[in-house]
Amino acid sequence: MKALKALSTSVGSKYLVALTGLSLVGFLTAHLAGNLLILLGPEKFNGYGHALISNPLVIPAELGLIGLLLLHIFKALRHVLLGRTARPQAYTRKVWAGAPSRKSWGSTTMLVSGIILLVFLVSHIATLKFGADYPSAEPGVRDLYRLVVEVFHSPGIVAFYVVAMVVIGLHLRHGISSAFQSLGLMTPGWTASILAIGLWLSVILAGGFALIPVWVYLFL
Amino acid sequence: MKVHLKVWRQTGPDATGRLVDYTAENIAPDMSFLEMLDSVNETLIARGEDPIAFDSDCREGICGTCGVMVDGRPHGPDSCTTVCQLHMRRYNDGDTIVIEPWQALAFPLIKDLVVDRGAFDTIIQAGGYTSVNTGGAPDANAILIPKTVADEAMDAAVCIGCGACVAACKNASAALFTSAKITQLSLLPQGQAEASTRVVEMVDAMDAAGFGGCSNEGECEAVCPKGISLKHIATMNREYRKAMFANR
Ligand code: FES
Repeated sequence: MKALKALSTSVGSKYLVALTGLSLVGFLTAHLAGNLLILLGPEKFNGYGHALISNPLVIPAELGLIGLLLLHIFKALRHVLLGRTARPQAYTRKVWAGAPSRKSWGSTTMLVSGIILLVFLVSHIATLKFGADYPSAEPGVRDLYRLVVEVFHSPGIVAFYVVAMVVIGLHLRHGISSAFQSLGLMTPGWTASILAIGLWLSVILAGGFALIPVWVYLFL
Repeated sequence: MKVHLKVWRQTGPDATGRLVDYTAENIAPDMSFLEMLDSVNETLIARGEDPIAFDSDCREGICGTCGVMVDGRPHGPDSCTTVCQLHMRRYNDGDTIVIEPWQALAFPLIKDLVVDRGAFDTIIQAGGYTSVNTGGAPDANAILIPKTVADEAMDAAVCIGCGACVAACKNASAALFTSAKITQLSLLPQGQAEASTRVVEMVDAMDAAGFGGCSNEGECEAVCPKGISLKHIATMNREYRKAMFANR
């Protein structure tokens, strides 16, 4: 009860946004590593897909991810709404304060980028997870490789994915380091490193994910 | 010199406010920003008009009474400077300056540029104190505190409570103000008695007063006339976690 109350204050809510956000970044990192197997050819990629899907833990893991995502969205929306209510009358003139402020295009667009990512996520799962179930040469193994290559030969879809990855980069550019601050882990000695890691990890994740559709379109 | 002003005028808490144009004539570059407003007010009074209401007290940057948005930035363009310490030499002849009050649900407007910052007092009353009974004036060196710790506590204690952090924040959050007091007291031995309750009670008071949460952008730190660091918000969050798991 005490913990529930503590996690519903402005500070406690940001704890949950941070914890769920960082968990989702962990998932993205693993997801990217797995996806890059597509560069090694159909056997490796389909084998990896099959191993994942036939693991009995996959359903609980998926439910866990959905739970994390919903909690993240719920607490983040609450935070945004609270902030809007806290300033009923807008300024006629307002400028960015400049250094040492960390305000960035990423930090000012968290709500918009979040909404775009949600739309992307739904379409992404619909196209690939619930897309055509081609059989591969090996019985019982889905030819996911064929589906991915087919999907990413449409320039429209490739463009959509690349744009979505720019958006995720923006979201993470603020989100990763901000999570450390929310959790109280951004001590003076670590601040510069955490800001740098947040920036680079967002570039690597966004760039890595964007590379796949482009690579498939051009070379596979 | 001469400057054009667009000043937020609002007759009372429930009235609708709007920007009104004024021209400040015969302004000496060495006048402070508030002296410039004083001179505009003298002209208004001479004309039988209502002068522009604004707050100030020490006019030397130490009390935290002054504070307005100047061209969209709390306390004006200079970093680590209160608006009473801003001088007209910062401007050119003929410039236009927009002046608005702090806008936040928790800081209800009283008149023109004057807002009620009593919510800050409510936050302090909730936990920004130590209940150590000191009796008569204690010997300053009875409890030894390492210099580095004392300095860090002092860095947090220099907050003058002007409200610029709330004014700058897109969420009108009081996190910087609240966290500065929490850091200050959490560093000092006298603050340990209430360490596990203070942060929770101050955060509750902050939320109850109608301030928003912290988005970790740090606009507050950039506009703070005392340069209070964002690291204090991290400290507050850390103290909050400790309090959450404290056995009480
Ligand atoms: S009037 Fe005291 S700080 Fe400006």
